[in-house]
Amino acid sequence: MSRNNGMDRRQMLKLAGLSAAGLGLTAAGCGSGSGSGGPVTIRHSWWGADDRAKKIQSCVGLFEKKHPKIKVKTDFQQYPDFWKKFNTQAAGGNPPDVIQNAVTFLRKYEAKNVLLDLAPQAEKGNLDLGGFRSGLEKFAEIDGKLLGVPVGSNSMALVIDEKVYEKAGIAPEIGWTWDDWYAGLRKIRSGQNVAGDAGPHGVMYLYDLILRQNGKAFFTEDALGFGEAELLPYWTEALERVKAGLYADPNKVEQIKPASATAKGLSAGEFTWDNFSVRYSAEGRSSYGLAPIPSTDGRKTGQYLGSLMLSGTARTKHPAEVATFISFMTHDPEVARIMGYDRGVPATTAQFEAYEPSDAPSKAIAAYETAIADAGVLEPITPHPAGADVIEAAFLRISADLSLGKTSPKDSVKQFFSEAKTALASN
Amino acid sequence: MTHIHTSPGALATGGDRSAAKRNGPGGIAPPVPPKRRDSGENLAGYLFMSPWIAGFLFLVAGPMVFSLYLSFTEYNLFEAPRWIGLQNFTDMFADPRWRQSVKVTSWYVLIGTPVKLAAALAVAMLLAQKRWGQSFYRAAFYAPSLIGASVSAAIVWRALFSDDAIVDRTQKVFGVEVGGWIGDPSMIIYALIALTVWQFGAPMVIFLAGLKQVPRELYEAAEVDGAGPWRRFFHITLPMISPVLFFNVLLETIHSFQIFGSAYIVSNGSCGPADATLVYTCYLYEQGFVNSRMGFASAMGWLLLLAVGLVTAVLFWSQKRWVHYEEGGR
Amino acid sequence: MSLLAAAVRRRGPGALAWHLGALVILGVVLYPVVWTIGASFKPSAEIIGALDLFPADPIGDNYTRLTEGIADIPISTFFLNSTYIAVGSVIGVVLSCSLTAYAFAKVRFAGRNVMFAIMIGTLLLPYHVLIIPQYVLFQKLELINTFTPLLIGKYLATDAFFVFLMVQFMRGLPKELDEAARLDGCGHLRTYWSIVMPLCRPALVTSAIFTFINAWNDFMGPLLYLNEPDKYTVSMGLKMFIDQDAVADYGGMIAMSLVALLPVLAFFVAFQRYLIDGMATSGLKG
Repeated sequence: MSRNNGMDRRQMLKLAGLSAAGLGLTAAGCGSGSGSGGPVTIRHSWWGADDRAKKIQSCVGLFEKKHPKIKVKTDFQQYPDFWKKFNTQAAGGNPPDVIQNAVTFLRKYEAKNVLLDLAPQAEKGNLDLGGFRSGLEKFAEIDGKLLGVPVGSNSMALVIDEKVYEKAGIAPEIGWTWDDWYAGLRKIRSGQNVAGDAGPHGVMYLYDLILRQNGKAFFTEDALGFGEAELLPYWTEALERVKAGLYADPNKVEQIKPASATAKGLSAGEFTWDNFSVRYSAEGRSSYGLAPIPSTDGRKTGQYLGSLMLSGTARTKHPAEVATFISFMTHDPEVARIMGYDRGVPATTAQFEAYEPSDAPSKAIAAYETAIADAGVLEPITPHPAGADVIEAAFLRISADLSLGKTSPKDSVKQFFSEAKTALASN
Repeated sequence: MTHIHTSPGALATGGDRSAAKRNGPGGIAPPVPPKRRDSGENLAGYLFMSPWIAGFLFLVAGPMVFSLYLSFTEYNLFEAPRWIGLQNFTDMFADPRWRQSVKVTSWYVLIGTPVKLAAALAVAMLLAQKRWGQSFYRAAFYAPSLIGASVSAAIVWRALFSDDAIVDRTQKVFGVEVGGWIGDPSMIIYALIALTVWQFGAPMVIFLAGLKQVPRELYEAAEVDGAGPWRRFFHITLPMISPVLFFNVLLETIHSFQIFGSAYIVSNGSCGPADATLVYTCYLYEQGFVNSRMGFASAMGWLLLLAVGLVTAVLFWSQKRWVHYEEGGR
Repeated sequence: MSLLAAAVRRRGPGALAWHLGALVILGVVLYPVVWTIGASFKPSAEIIGALDLFPADPIGDNYTRLTEGIADIPISTFFLNSTYIAVGSVIGVVLSCSLTAYAFAKVRFAGRNVMFAIMIGTLLLPYHVLIIPQYVLFQKLELINTFTPLLIGKYLATDAFFVFLMVQFMRGLPKELDEAARLDGCGHLRTYWSIVMPLCRPALVTSAIFTFINAWNDFMGPLLYLNEPDKYTVSMGLKMFIDQDAVADYGGMIAMSLVALLPVLAFFVAFQRYLIDGMATSGLKG
């Protein structure tokens, strides 16, 4: 019995030792002391994929070299997971210090006092607000607070599989209409037995453009800018097109997630942000290009410059360092050369001029943004109300349910407006 | 968190007749009837019990009361809870996604648990025969119960059931063109059910232990009387192992209600497609942590507690009719 | 097969059917595991579509990929975190549950019956009702993004199942032993530590292993409570892999899945007697 006892104790000791070792390691791992002189650690989270991760890592390395007293820890997730996690973190009281941000989330987190007002930091000289292209520095100004700094501008576009489009003899140009686009889909289907589009009816930002083409918008200041009368015909038509094979097989699209349907050859094109097109050639086998957004009247596309931003969070213990980092990421020419157009066309002139695109996708993005700017189709952006993110997710999910044949267009529309109402009320 | 992911293995291996017996018709009996009490014993008892008492008060009872309060409020973690009465509950009943989550979970429990237990019992009866290699098979069949709840298993499942993978190809051999189950809202739930059935080893081990206790003489006597294998099964095996069966049904059912991780990972975090894997916990998580509706999520939690309580009560009540205890009881 | 043949010769055709049946089940049960092993040596593009279990030219790329880590975090970080939580949980459960079980089994104190009934009640309690309020509690205590929420319950004997298991076991111990100890003047603490604990070893080991495996596999706890990747457990590391590399690096993800299972499988191989045999029989004694 005494031997048993000894065994137990020895095992216990071993376990205790192990856990002590673990404790030591963890303690060493998260030493983010902010005493004077010691290095300060800030945390930067963003959404994206592996290719962006490598670029951001190089930028962070560069930053740390120039600012030896600031360490930056980074992490990233897919877009929806990123926001799930961020919401939990913000509510839990320890969000990352710096986040990648988008216009949809500004009001939501401003209302909850999650975001850091960067204006005081600009006054103190920690954040440089000079040299932004076409007034972009005002992009995230809400009620006199500066809630984010744009890193690059982007715009909605149609990414196309050039080989399929070429074979079908379709050459999209600025000024083409939805009818032209639809004719193209049918041609591609009959000629090459491929779906022409991944299914645009779940993309909130595209529907926003369609509504704008017709004098409305997805959001007003605090509500939805459209009703069942608009959405029902849109989704009814979409379901017919899914059934006709003009939009990609939703079952397959579901399974290859998070990969893109067009990159995986399930469709000849899809609507997305122009800067995303950088990913396609890495993921897919064909060659990919950017086509303009079709319009209703041959002129007005409803487009605006969107932008990814960097925002600080209000609870950060190191606002000055946060501002320094954001300033570096938006102005340093070397950062522009590393990032390219990954997060859109650089927002500051210094970075815009520092990067000369050499690869085809980036050249295409530059050409695309220049073309739509020259065409004069750009409009000012409308701010999104709090709850817009939940509505965007619902729009995407319900449209997928519709495509998969789980609900009728009528029920889908009803469901969407009911969820939107809840989201606007509770956020 | 301590209640999260107790693997069926963990719960089930303690499953035994004594457990069922203890919870039997006589109600829950204390381990030893108390005879003598004195203040020294009381003090010692409370000292030994102090971690449990603290845990119960601060991690179970207190949170339950708090959650009951929250279920009548609107609370987003950022601002103070606001009393809204029964609104969360009326919203819930009017919410088609909530109804969908009830449907998905019920389906999962109603199909998954019986199939899993049937598989467990069938294999246990096979293994109950003393043969060479018996203990090896028992160990091998048990292994999935330990790894089935992991993220790894869910990742592998997603791969095996996707388009053009093994399951899809096998179907095609039989001329069934379904495509991958993962993208098909009517099929993906069966991929999840397959994942839980794959873990039949834990209840199997308990059935085996129960089967070993059945006296051989009963079978021999029945054979002399000319009873065939089916009659022997229904008239000897089933009644004799009914306490074990009861225990397995109880634990597997309660456990199945709590599925989250595998649904979340197999559906790539969407609990889709088309909400086809929107199990109750997934929806509670989404409403609470993604949409910041902590009050609504609390109300969901309480409603499930009531539902599971009801199912448990019905099971306990029904056991009078079909669970046979060797001694005592009735 | 010759063993099979020998078995058939000895035991007759019933044995053949038995072994065939068992082998078929074995094939179905082990297929996913064997598939994973094979797939981890295949190039990413071939993993889903290829029907061969093992590739003609196995490659080690998927494993070398793991040494690069995920998002600049070495894989070893996830394993250390998981080990820390799992070992910490084991110590907590073994100590706190055995103390509670001792009180239930060996001490006669007022209110024991009521507490025992409550403890059994928590065994059947669905955790849904606790997710939100516990989260709010730990948020108010500013314990989010620490390991405390994942560990504290283990030190406060909230794992009713293990308490129950140990009570069962302690009741099975010969009464004469602790009565003799009491006569020799041992207090409860001495009796608990020097007599009951050593004798309970099988129950303690079983509880320890299950606690380790549950903590290792836990997904929801870390998902809710851990925010920074360098605190992530293996489950969350795998989740990161899905998020970030599902497109580019299917092979790496499968390899990581397998590596994540290794500790569990190792415990199983080492302790399967304890897990299956010991438990099934020790339970029946009660």
